[in-house]
Amino acid sequence: MKQVLALVGVSFAGRYLAGCADVGRDRPIQGGIVGSGSSIGHMIRDGKAFPPPSQEVRTGILIIGGGISGLSAARWLQKKGAENVIMVEMGDETGGNSIFGQNKVSAYPWAAHYLPIPDVANTTLIEFLTEIGVITGFTDGVPAYNEYHLCHDPEERLYIDGYWQEGLIPKFGITREDEAQIARFMKQAEDHRSAKGNDGKFAFCIPLDASSADEEYRKLDRISFRQFLNDNGYTSKPLLWYLEYCCKDDYGSGLDSTSAWAGMHYFASRRGKATNASSSAVLTWPEGNGYLMSALRKHNTYPVRTGLAAFSVANTDTGVSVDCYDGGKKSTVRIVADKVLLCTPQHVNKYLLKQVNAERSIYDKVHYAPWVVANVTCDGVPEGKGTALCWDNVVYGRQSVGYVFANHQNLVRKNEGVLTWYLPFTEGSPKDARKAIYNKTIEDWKKLVLEDLAYAHPGIEAFVTRIDVKVWGHGMIQPVPGYVWGADRTEAMRAIDGRIFFAHSDLSGISIFEEAFSQGIRAAEEMLAG
Amino acid sequence: MVKGADEQTQMQEKKQGQGLLLFSVFVIATCGLIYELVAGTMASYLLGDSVTQFSTVIGVYLFSMGIGSWLSGQVEGDLLKWFIRIEILVGLVGGCSAPSMFLLFEHVTYFRIVLYSFVVLTGILVGLEIPILMRILKSGIEFKDLVARVFTFDYIGALLASLIFPLLLVPYLGLIRTSLVFGIFNIAVAAYLLYYFEETMRYRRRLLVPVLLSVVALLAGFVYAERIMSYSETLAFQDKVIYSKSTHYQRMVLTRNNRELKLFLNGNLQFSSLDEYRYHEALVHPGLHALKGSKKVLVLGGGDGLAVREVLRYPDVASVTLVDLDPAMTQLFRSNEMLLQLNKRSLLSPKVRVVNDDAFNWVRQDTTRFDFIIIDFPDPSNYSLGKLYSSKFYEELRHVLSDSGIIVVQATSPLIARKSFWCVGHTMQAAGFVTVPYHIYVPSFGEWGYIMAMRNYGWHPGADLPTGLKFIDRNVMKSMLLFPPDMSEVTTEVNKLNNQALVNYFEDEWAPYVH
Repeated sequence: MKQVLALVGVSFAGRYLAGCADVGRDRPIQGGIVGSGSSIGHMIRDGKAFPPPSQEVRTGILIIGGGISGLSAARWLQKKGAENVIMVEMGDETGGNSIFGQNKVSAYPWAAHYLPIPDVANTTLIEFLTEIGVITGFTDGVPAYNEYHLCHDPEERLYIDGYWQEGLIPKFGITREDEAQIARFMKQAEDHRSAKGNDGKFAFCIPLDASSADEEYRKLDRISFRQFLNDNGYTSKPLLWYLEYCCKDDYGSGLDSTSAWAGMHYFASRRGKATNASSSAVLTWPEGNGYLMSALRKHNTYPVRTGLAAFSVANTDTGVSVDCYDGGKKSTVRIVADKVLLCTPQHVNKYLLKQVNAERSIYDKVHYAPWVVANVTCDGVPEGKGTALCWDNVVYGRQSVGYVFANHQNLVRKNEGVLTWYLPFTEGSPKDARKAIYNKTIEDWKKLVLEDLAYAHPGIEAFVTRIDVKVWGHGMIQPVPGYVWGADRTEAMRAIDGRIFFAHSDLSGISIFEEAFSQGIRAAEEMLAG
Repeated sequence: MVKGADEQTQMQEKKQGQGLLLFSVFVIATCGLIYELVAGTMASYLLGDSVTQFSTVIGVYLFSMGIGSWLSGQVEGDLLKWFIRIEILVGLVGGCSAPSMFLLFEHVTYFRIVLYSFVVLTGILVGLEIPILMRILKSGIEFKDLVARVFTFDYIGALLASLIFPLLLVPYLGLIRTSLVFGIFNIAVAAYLLYYFEETMRYRRRLLVPVLLSVVALLAGFVYAERIMSYSETLAFQDKVIYSKSTHYQRMVLTRNNRELKLFLNGNLQFSSLDEYRYHEALVHPGLHALKGSKKVLVLGGGDGLAVREVLRYPDVASVTLVDLDPAMTQLFRSNEMLLQLNKRSLLSPKVRVVNDDAFNWVRQDTTRFDFIIIDFPDPSNYSLGKLYSSKFYEELRHVLSDSGIIVVQATSPLIARKSFWCVGHTMQAAGFVTVPYHIYVPSFGEWGYIMAMRNYGWHPGADLPTGLKFIDRNVMKSMLLFPPDMSEVTTEVNKLNNQALVNYFEDEWAPYVH
């Protein structure tokens, strides 16, 4: 009932009105840097001496690394009835880039936070989503998605020229020429989406190894996305900003460090269908992809040893011998397995496989983008001028890729929330960036996060109660030019002696859930076949 | 020579002392009348009917002053000390009167008791002031002069107070701050006397503590006054704001004028006591009267208890569960006497269970089957409210609705927000319900619409309605089903969690009416 429309707008304003005395409060902002699991990793890298093994365990299959590819492999092995499998994970918990946190306000992601509805051709993923109730049924082969998991409206907004516009493609203050170029690019992307190569396969697929081998498209991998855009006459600043934002958001790379093939893949690979959502719909949860990860974790009944870091793999007569360091007990466990699956990134494999005599040229080719993710707990929700608070909130022209409002999928109406703020380091050398971010204190991060948020939300610090930060030194593999369709990548997926197998999203070249999920299945299949 | 000079200075000092005391008469007289005016205004704000309120407040205040004057006869000993003590007390009690009354308004059942306690207490203290002061002054002055001077200053103070109160104080300071400022004046008098007169030396220190503490308390009140009642807010409403509070979820404002009481949530009118019966009778009776036998009723939203009041007209209602997000709202309508009169103490009925939770969550978790579900949410003016009008929410409602049960939803204005109204209907249909849309006229809101929904068509109106209804009868129930061409059905999308179609319609349709 009620005659006058609510001036939807600034929930903060109500607080200003109600409690002026509160605004200037000196309440310290809580929070800290969470679970930096890099210390043992650095011990391995630096070749520190670990104690000799005090215990030996024998198993059929050992999975090293409990990220999405490892969990997905475990699920697949289990489905196929494999026995005698164990998993070790260096960190305190499995989950990789899909781990999440939870406080009394909301659950929130620590990294990956959404999954676009997949192409029906991605049968293994469709099957998984059906198993866990994300897909509720099918009509003529088209899935219906659980409405609680489809991203609720409003989805995205962009802060540009002091105003929150709907959608992320810049609309305000842009010229006719900008508009024309944006339309032209979108048309080109659309054409690529339905394009098929001379082998009859789609030019751009997820998982990307299902894409056409047609040189016409694959040659795009040899140039940078910037080069491609330049060659095609794209000069519009707002368009280039948007495309770079997309690369940063999904790949942790800029226009120069993304290959044109990967850049186009972002726009041309999504052919999802749903009876109850559009093809561009995404699935999301307050805990982000932690929801999918938890489902994988729950599915797994194989023993999992967390806090156990594999540091050396040796190929012996009796099997593959893996030495693992238990940081808690300060002791080493030797696990001897018939087969080992390394679901670890290549920069780790480089050290793990020192004892194994194998030519692996991949190590020099991988580049990882550092990421910093902050979860900001507020006792108000940031609205601002224009479109109301959305799930994804991006600010034009900033280094950060904005924030996701973790409570967006919560149905409860609360005047408080957790903002998950993302900052990729795409410029300069990742190594230097890593060094710089590892040296920052929590107070440095708090200041940086607040400054960035205050750009679009002046005065937000008065409503922030907590800032927790996670530093991902090697956050994402970057699809740099030449990586995805270079020989090294495909070579690196090949098993050693039919005993040491590999799965990781860095073996795809783009760090997304679908790739990790399918890497795990591919490797599991190879192990079962061999 | 020397002695003479001494005497002269003494005389002069005495005169000065008397002048100061007479000036305090002027100040305390002003303060005294201000407190009386504050109490009178407060009473007419909060309780309405200004003639009665002012008249009784003035009467009680003057009578209390009489008691004070009588009591002054019992006061013996160091009169100056007594006077200073009383000043501190007057300042504290009078100064705190307005903020305390505003704060207590929501918490106490019988507000009049609080009001008149303040009036009596302030009256007695103010009544003590002048007689004691006259006794202090009497030594150096002839009685006729004393009476003439004291009362001259007393009445000048009264005139000043009565002029500045309506012209300056209420419009520029507001009631709360006025009361606090004059409390500080009273205490300033006490402090100055304490400082000026040598004979206070012995107890100066001891009395300085309460003086300082009181000033600090009143100053703190001054700072917090904005929190108790936002001054700028009082200007935003046509009527007097008698209560306002920012809860975790919303800003609640109650206003009143001579005829009616209005509740606003986030600036949107929720009801006017003049015509809310139309809205609530139409919300409840068409559906509920058509159900046979003992009934379990669920009310979602509606924390004012007005829909529950209508529900309780049916003796065969076994239980009512009310789920409202905001505990502050249900608490207010369970404790304030004026609001209890309006909702006929419905939320205190033993049949009623009040749950403070988000309706979406609660419905997903509850397993009871209700026969009648009333949905009385605020309009879908933002996305978090839009979710409570989504197909998913209505699907969840199926699990808590008995087989032959009826749901009724308030569905905004079919005239102003035609698409929004029909969108609610279509969304309920998409969730598998058969719907019966209807509308009525509520002067405060205009044309207003509702959607009744059930699993299979089973609405048979016309059975006995409860007695005592002012609006709904058989003929109204027939006419409310007819939609003239300017409100007739239009095609719309279904409101889903992932499209929020309704919020978009609602924004478009109401936009021309904002500002």
